[in-house]
Amino acid sequence: MFSEQVAPTAQGLLGPPSAEPPTFPRVPVLGYSDCSGPFRPGERSFGRQYAHVYAVRLAGMRPTLEHRARGRWGSDAVLRKLSELQAGEKCCVVGTLFKAMQLQPSILQEISEEHNLVPQPPLPKYIQPSDELILEDELQRIKLEGAIDVQRLVTGTIVAVYGSEQDDGRFLVEDHCFADLPPPLPWNGPTSDRFVLLASGLGLGSGSGEALLSTQLLVDVVTGQLGAEGEQSCAAHISRVILAGNLLSQNTQSRDTINKAKYLTKKTQAASVEAVKMLDEILLQLCTSVPVDVMPGEFDPTNYTLPQQPLHRCMLPLASPYATLHLVTNPYQANLDGVRFLGTSGQNVSDIFKYSSMDDYLEILEWTLLAGHISPTAPDTLGCYPFYKSDPFILTECPHVYFCGNAPCFQSKLLQGAEGQRVLLVTVPDFSTTQTACLVNLRDLTCQPITFSGFGAEDEDGDMEVGH
Amino acid sequence: MGGSRPVPGIAGAAASSMSRRAMGQPRRITDSFPRRRRRGPGRPPGRLKDKDKDKEEAQGKAKVRDRPRAAPQPPPDPALLEMLRRFDLCWEYGPCTGITRLQRWERAQALGLSPPGPIRDALLEHRDNPDVTYSLWHEYEL
Repeated sequence: MFSEQVAPTAQGLLGPPSAEPPTFPRVPVLGYSDCSGPFRPGERSFGRQYAHVYAVRLAGMRPTLEHRARGRWGSDAVLRKLSELQAGEKCCVVGTLFKAMQLQPSILQEISEEHNLVPQPPLPKYIQPSDELILEDELQRIKLEGAIDVQRLVTGTIVAVYGSEQDDGRFLVEDHCFADLPPPLPWNGPTSDRFVLLASGLGLGSGSGEALLSTQLLVDVVTGQLGAEGEQSCAAHISRVILAGNLLSQNTQSRDTINKAKYLTKKTQAASVEAVKMLDEILLQLCTSVPVDVMPGEFDPTNYTLPQQPLHRCMLPLASPYATLHLVTNPYQANLDGVRFLGTSGQNVSDIFKYSSMDDYLEILEWTLLAGHISPTAPDTLGCYPFYKSDPFILTECPHVYFCGNAPCFQSKLLQGAEGQRVLLVTVPDFSTTQTACLVNLRDLTCQPITFSGFGAEDEDGDMEVGH
Repeated sequence: MGGSRPVPGIAGAAASSMSRRAMGQPRRITDSFPRRRRRGPGRPPGRLKDKDKDKEEAQGKAKVRDRPRAAPQPPPDPALLEMLRRFDLCWEYGPCTGITRLQRWERAQALGLSPPGPIRDALLEHRDNPDVTYSLWHEYEL
């Protein structure tokens, strides 16, 4: 976007500034509505067990899966519950997957005295060849074997399997299917170019000055203070900025002060206090010019369990008076200019990465969309609020843009569905390590990365590279 | 009326003295669980005992206060409680612990499992009786 329009006007930088500086009004907001209502539970009652989440997940997704099963294996396919299985009969069963993993961190093993084990260090992946898949429905469970990829799947997915029960009590799977893409939403997108900037992992408070320069360059580009007239007019087409989590760096999370004696830590301040002040100043610069949606992430000062509630506005005294600042939940769903956005700060994808053989963040993101659930591993390995009425992470409508933050690199893909769904999948990279943000064009659902870098101490100019 | 439930208002009812076995009714697994005296809906959480004079007055007041509260509504009959207990133990409507029976009924209705209507009417009619609103395992935490 930028480089095509910038090149002809770059000559403008070589001449004296014009007497009347041109102004570029930012594109107005056509329509915005926040659809994240299900992610705000309202009440906060932790006196329940997690069995309710799994029960409503299965009950809520069962009709969709039965429909898909009939479509795939014939309308005369026999649907059975596990308690009604007969040995040798080919039938279809809908249930929740459970993966029994040897390396899965278990708090009971850690505190068990008879084992005398040191708690295992965190591993990048917890999969092992000896893992087993078990299918559970409301009453029973059965081990699965056959045409099902044990390494790839994770606990908590709702699946329909087709096969028969063997004599040894295991279920031999011949075929399986997921909920597939949810029904499509009507398209009301804009007819002219409009951009949404997606950035995540700003990583403030890490103590590194390099990342701050790139962040400042990003803010300057969006507010139109950088570049010649070509770039400024392009930046005026950015209608929104979404910051997808990890605004603070992991370094602000050190809890050494808890272990030290009180008299040593009396005058110290939590590292996150300074970092939030920096965040406030950056948000102030952005909010004066463009609507900003701030999603919390793994290291941000909000609750740990999903869905994470918005940051409190008392932490951002400079930026919160502006109506352009929207503090939103993680996951976040909204209609921006007629286009439905749905995204998370990446905890769901990185949790599936740890417990599955899938390595590519974009592949995992696509798989969650096809499985019909934003984060199937919650509440097993990812913290989750104990819902009881309904599971808000079930995908009921197909979004137009589906993103996840804090990925190791930028990737995007346009997925076409059989029922006319068009989804743009975007993995937003971690800004503090890659200095890359994404620009999504709402008119034709394309996405391009934009990279900022400074050349380091020996060269004093900060340069802006635009990467495609 | 079955003698196995302590009637609210009688302080210190030794419920074990009127066991189900003595009454000739079939035994239950729950008979071996410790019986806990439940507080009625309107009983104060814990009155400070006055050290002197007002003790008798307070006791007199307690007796007077308890009797009218015992009958704002007729207590639910055991058949109703039995029906509610069976509703709790029905596996089709999902787990029953940690939520009230009305919440479970509403959830089953929303998921299209068609729970029986008379149960909801009974739950709304005896809304302030904790034996009716809470599930079978309400007193056992989590």
